[in-house]
Amino acid sequence: MSQTTPALKLSNIELHYGYVRALDGVDFHVQPGEIVGLLGDNGAGKSTLLKVMSGAHRPTHGTIEVNGQATAFHTPKDAAAVGIQMVYQDLALVEAQDIATNLQLGREPLRGFPFNIIGFVDHKAMQRTSAEQLSRLGVRTAPMNRPVEMLSGGQRQVVAISRAAVRVMESGGVILLDEPTAALGYEQTQLVEELIVKMAQQGIAIVLVTHNLPLCYNLAHRIVVLNRGRKVADIAKTETDMDSVVGWITGAKKAM
Amino acid sequence: MSHSPVDRQDAVGGGKRTTDRGIETSHLPFNIRALVFVRERGIIVLWLLLLLFFAIWDHPYFASVANGLLILQAAALTAVYAAGVGIGAISGALDLSVPGVAALAGVVTGKLITLGQPVWLALLAGLLIGVVAGLVNGFITLRGLNPLVVTIGTLSVMSGLAAVVSGGYTIPGLDELTFMGTARYFGIPVHVYLVALLYVVGTVFLTKTRDGIRLVAVGGNPEAVRRLGINSPRYQLLGFVITGCCSALAGLMTAALVTEASPQASPASIFQALTAVALAGVSLGGGRGSLPKVLVGAIILATIGDGLTIAGVQPYWATVTTGVLMITALVIDRLLTQIISDRLVEVGSMSTHVKDGKG
Repeated sequence: MSQTTPALKLSNIELHYGYVRALDGVDFHVQPGEIVGLLGDNGAGKSTLLKVMSGAHRPTHGTIEVNGQATAFHTPKDAAAVGIQMVYQDLALVEAQDIATNLQLGREPLRGFPFNIIGFVDHKAMQRTSAEQLSRLGVRTAPMNRPVEMLSGGQRQVVAISRAAVRVMESGGVILLDEPTAALGYEQTQLVEELIVKMAQQGIAIVLVTHNLPLCYNLAHRIVVLNRGRKVADIAKTETDMDSVVGWITGAKKAM
Repeated sequence: MSHSPVDRQDAVGGGKRTTDRGIETSHLPFNIRALVFVRERGIIVLWLLLLLFFAIWDHPYFASVANGLLILQAAALTAVYAAGVGIGAISGALDLSVPGVAALAGVVTGKLITLGQPVWLALLAGLLIGVVAGLVNGFITLRGLNPLVVTIGTLSVMSGLAAVVSGGYTIPGLDELTFMGTARYFGIPVHVYLVALLYVVGTVFLTKTRDGIRLVAVGGNPEAVRRLGINSPRYQLLGFVITGCCSALAGLMTAALVTEASPQASPASIFQALTAVALAGVSLGGGRGSLPKVLVGAIILATIGDGLTIAGVQPYWATVTTGVLMITALVIDRLLTQIISDRLVEVGSMSTHVKDGKG
């Protein structure tokens, strides 16, 4: 997996808030189809790093490469344009609207001439496309015209993640997940885990930020641990164990 | 749980039983389907019951074409105000400056006509007042201020300006406007045509067009829509402009009906409109609501007024009845939402998280 160009590569990232060094010379990369678990205690800098990747924060120093091309993000929109999508903890779905509308919002298919002049939306195409996209991801939730507010928490999270996935699929792309199962029960977590694995199989690079160690251990190919703004570990899951990871997180174990 | 296989035809929902919001309910248990039906269509049932009730009570004067047209004529102005307030509420912009905008639009048009300007120009200027008022309300609200407070402020400004323009007096003798006031075409009052046109265009816009769908989505969750790369503030602004235009149109129709333009803003219009909107189950929190039901709401108000008047009941009782009806409708809607939500949880795999204030 390491021979190919990384989908996203950050080198020597520093970010200062006044005197505080939130990130201190962090290198990070993720390959297409790879799931990287990004771990760390509260305040270790993992959310900050995620925000740098998603374009919400600009690093003080350091370079960002997407598929080998050096880039600079000024807004999350710039990151989205090169195929990096962030899925937020609070879902960001429109409750009263159905699954299809939520999936296609911002890229709604229009009907043919002359209806497209006034912007008539092709509802059938919208539902068809949504169903196709979800089945390509192997997702089965509910009928496409079911309002999101009538879905379970797990189904909602699946819709939110799928939306990000279909938006980056064409470009290979990177998905950034922030605590994707924080509010979910056991079965619902299974549902989301399954989707994450399927997305990686489709060649999407995935960065998974979580406090949930077992989740990270289940899914990640590689684990990156931050402590006080520095990277203290970057290791394939098969070459380490949970105790070491906990050691790195708490700072009990020395940086690699 | 949600692994329950859903076959493809089901997933696209072709030819399945749906409610007017297009909710697919076909494989839900019957009792839930019935509850959803009552919640979605209850207002229409209520209106039919009212018609039946008054048809019997006021026999033989109520159930006639002439009286039907009278009801529609009486509902027209409220319906126009309610369309503006309704679309505004759906897009997340509750606008109370409506009566002020209507008064200012009326007197500006009236003034221009008495100054000898062409009628079309005067009407255009009146509608433009609505656009400007919407933009002002929108820009100030987008600065992060509470729309209620902002629009109460602009209500004052607009009605004050209306008095300034007219010198404080009603502008009389606007006979040029009867073509959109008391006129009838093919026996039907012109206001009925205007309302029909407004609601058809509005409904098609909200449900079929890209901008309309985004407008509703922005009302539901502006932040979510913004994150998808859509310019949310532009749509929030659009909501205010639509409300402003409807208010101005209502002001012009009022002036045309009485052939004079009063600078007096009538607060009753906004409360009637809000009642119709609330009866229609439009969430004042934004993001949900159906325009045709708002129209039914406005017609219900007119039906009650008309029915009670024919029966010889003091008109004050119409106001009391409307208030009681509205509160009852809100309570029933909240109860039904809760029950449906609970039932869905029992059925498993689904839940409706009822957000506070979104009932």
